Amino acid sequence: MSGSTRWGRWAIPLAAIPVIVLLAYGFRTDPRAIPTPLVGKPAAAFRLKTFDGPEISLEGLRGRVVVINFWASWCYPACYEEAPVLERGWRAYKDREVMLVGINIQDKEEPAKRFLAQFGHTFPNAPDPAGRVSVDYGVYGVPETFFIDRAGRIRAKHVGAVTDAIFSANVDRLLAERP
Amino acid sequence: MKRRAKFIVGGVFILGALGYLIYAGVSQSVVYFVTPSELMAAPVSGKTYRLGGMVQAGTLKWEPKSLDLTFAVSDGKTAVPVRHKGTPPDLFAEGRGAVVEGTWTADGHFKAATILAKHSEEYKAPDDGAAEPGYKELLRTLQGSSGK
Amino acid sequence: MTPELGYAATVVAFGLALYGSIASAVAGRTGRTALVQSSERAAVGVWILVTGCMLLLVYAFLTFDFSVRYVAINTNRGTPFYYRITALWGALEGSIILWTWMLALYTLIVVVQYRRRHPEFYPWVLSAMMGIAAFFLLVMTIPAPPFERLTPVPPDGRGLNPLLQDSGMITHPVALYLGFTGFTVPFAFAIAALATGRIGDEWITITRRWTVIAWYFLALGLLIGGWWSYHVLGWGGYWAWDPVENAAVLPWLTGTALLHSVMIQERRRMLKIWNLTLVILTFSLTIFGTFLTRSGIIGSVHAFSQGSIGAFFLGFLALVLLTSFSLLAWRMDRLKAQGELDSIFSRESVFLLNNVFLVAAAFTVFFGTIFPLLSEAVRGVKVSVGAPFFNLVNIPLFLGLLILMGVGPLIAWRRASADNLRRNFLMPTAVGVAAAVIARALGIANSLVLLCIAAVVFVTGTIVLDFLRAVRARRRSGDGWAAATLGLLRRQNRRYGGFVVHLGILVVALGVAGSNAWSLHTETTLGRGESVELGGYRVRFDGLRASEESNHFKVTGTFTVSNGVGSRDVLYPAKKYYAQEQNPIAYVDYRLGLIEDVYLVLGDFARDGSQATIKLQVNRMVSWLWLGGLVLTLGTGLAILPDRKKAA
Repeated sequence: MSGSTRWGRWAIPLAAIPVIVLLAYGFRTDPRAIPTPLVGKPAAAFRLKTFDGPEISLEGLRGRVVVINFWASWCYPACYEEAPVLERGWRAYKDREVMLVGINIQDKEEPAKRFLAQFGHTFPNAPDPAGRVSVDYGVYGVPETFFIDRAGRIRAKHVGAVTDAIFSANVDRLLAERP
Repeated sequence: MKRRAKFIVGGVFILGALGYLIYAGVSQSVVYFVTPSELMAAPVSGKTYRLGGMVQAGTLKWEPKSLDLTFAVSDGKTAVPVRHKGTPPDLFAEGRGAVVEGTWTADGHFKAATILAKHSEEYKAPDDGAAEPGYKELLRTLQGSSGK
Repeated sequence: MTPELGYAATVVAFGLALYGSIASAVAGRTGRTALVQSSERAAVGVWILVTGCMLLLVYAFLTFDFSVRYVAINTNRGTPFYYRITALWGALEGSIILWTWMLALYTLIVVVQYRRRHPEFYPWVLSAMMGIAAFFLLVMTIPAPPFERLTPVPPDGRGLNPLLQDSGMITHPVALYLGFTGFTVPFAFAIAALATGRIGDEWITITRRWTVIAWYFLALGLLIGGWWSYHVLGWGGYWAWDPVENAAVLPWLTGTALLHSVMIQERRRMLKIWNLTLVILTFSLTIFGTFLTRSGIIGSVHAFSQGSIGAFFLGFLALVLLTSFSLLAWRMDRLKAQGELDSIFSRESVFLLNNVFLVAAAFTVFFGTIFPLLSEAVRGVKVSVGAPFFNLVNIPLFLGLLILMGVGPLIAWRRASADNLRRNFLMPTAVGVAAAVIARALGIANSLVLLCIAAVVFVTGTIVLDFLRAVRARRRSGDGWAAATLGLLRRQNRRYGGFVVHLGILVVALGVAGSNAWSLHTETTLGRGESVELGGYRVRFDGLRASEESNHFKVTGTFTVSNGVGSRDVLYPAKKYYAQEQNPIAYVDYRLGLIEDVYLVLGDFARDGSQATIKLQVNRMVSWLWLGGLVLTLGTGLAILPDRKKAA
């Protein structure tokens, strides 16, 4: 009897452990994220006219790893925080068969252009005036970033500001897959 | 010992009742989170779902007099017809994200009890404040009609 | 400059708090008083530095210093003066400052009050409190720095969330945090008791008043939160069992259990382990609440930012739970109860049952809140449980608690004789049953409301009976009515303060039952000049007008409300369009009444002002919640009056 109480008492602190483990498990899931059914599926084709003039289409980028970033000039601070990250990522990877496309949604042309000038973006950016591309990609809010593999399949989606680590981890992973 | 037994019986009774309440409560009010594709793959009528997706362009209809609101929620692959009675929430629009909670009905539509419009948490208006639909115009038409 | 100054102060304060915590723990082990004094000075230093941080941030808000990221996000040039001050706790980083400041303040009070008393406990109490402060300062340093610099400095900020631009939001977080942080003091004393091995009743006697105060502020914070939800959010309710609300009510439930169970220990030397467990749980739940709302692991309609802060809070929660329960397990040998339960019909048993019900309620709320996680971890299915779950499980528990509220204070200790039961409960029971019968005859058919009425009348009966008897006894010794009443309240302030708090809870309970059973609502579209009727009120739509306000654009509806007796009133519900928000904010207009509120929300409207869609509600007895809060305040005030020597 006394032996069991000597050890039994430690049951109280031990009981806390599964609760903590369960709560920690919560970090793995995001209750807000409605799982996108698009991951693993072929990315929807689009053809858009960039702010600089030339057209850009997903078709034309087949064989490369494509990163699509949906943003808006009013999205503050998240889009402002990730803007330098995107430009850095673009400069680091543009010679390695990687394409970065910015798609500007629910915005006006003038502030959008000011945004691009402010951050000195050198990768192609295009407005999505009818909102069709954002609907095809199931964009809930800005910013959202999609990572597409060489075969044109969506492989990852990131909601919120992208960090250097997230950008390079996803791109490196897709680059490592030989076609 | 007899007293102790009474307390134990009492404790077991309380625990049992509590367990039953929790079980009954969970089975009555559980809500399943699904995407349109998941719902349409195996819809069960009468079950409560929380359905998330985009309001499909060209499907939104609202009748102010009868408060009938109909639209389709889509995830890019499958669309679910939704019906609701009430005013659409402020941020609710075609091409925007929405989460609806309700039940699947036997006659093939989703009956929404509540609608939540999704909005991005980080938001800043453009500097000129002109992106909001027609502030000034609204101001003008309403000023023209007020005070009569 | 401000960001760097604030950050430096935070880091120094963190160092001081950490030092103070370790130094006083060493002092506790070795008895070196010089170290205790040194950590006292550290505690004062922490308070000064955190106060400085807060003032610095207020200054940044008032001067529109947008080089501070937090200021840029939570204010803009249009934000009115008062909201620029309260924007301080409008978001995560600032509310952590507020929390830390309150903690530092409580630590300071502990230093002032207990420096010369309780020399065994004191160093450990200081150590625990400063350790906790160190954690919050660490949060202010790494995952949630309020003084983060923003470059380039924007010309204008984003602005405070319009929903928070309300008087309720000024006071709600303050009350809530005073409650949350208040439980740190009893927790620190419990840790001191465990560390020193002096696990008698001393820590309970010292901290009783602290527990009452923390409990009261938490209750007040919950009520103000309900008021905010009711008059700002425009859905006409005050409680939705949202995870964020649940997180705040959890420590309140276990704190309520604690307030009652300590009485058993004081009187009968029982439940020692249980009381320590409750105080640890209550404090842990305040941390859990912050973890839940700030980690984003559970979806909530209250949008909060997410980040690494969740991991910090979870780590701290794990540390608190494991350390304190291990201490408890280590001291288990000394925690043998000296008394024991004699009978089921005794005050001890009733209090025990009250604790079982409260902890069961806390458990079910906790279970329902983390159910989505549990389900996903175990079965991989994304689900949640909604309000029906919480209502179904908690209504029986709360009804039971109401009845116990009447039984507990009057039933005899140890073993109640049949005579004691008859003398104290026959009349109140009869009156309670009679009240329900009369209510039924008057046409109230809702059985839950009838049960609630019976319970409330029963409890009121017991309180009145007890009080009248006591007054009569004093009258026999020669006092007049007034002198007898006042003397009784003053001499037995703890008992009668508790009774007044109980009355406050009864008023709230009636409000909850009544508003759920009898409120009416309708939603309709009216053309100009058309009317809708609800609950005896006729509401006519007279027109819309638009206006530009200091920081928003506003569309206001004019509605004339008349009731049958000819009194007329005009309501102006509106929609406010803020530049920084995607969606307009509904501005509810209402007329509050003791029996019913008229509550009007403007929904959609035609662009030319010819028609408007409205939500009209006649909410019954909601005001009783706020009245109950007032009664709670009076009762708590009475209960914590300084003790006086009892008359011989």
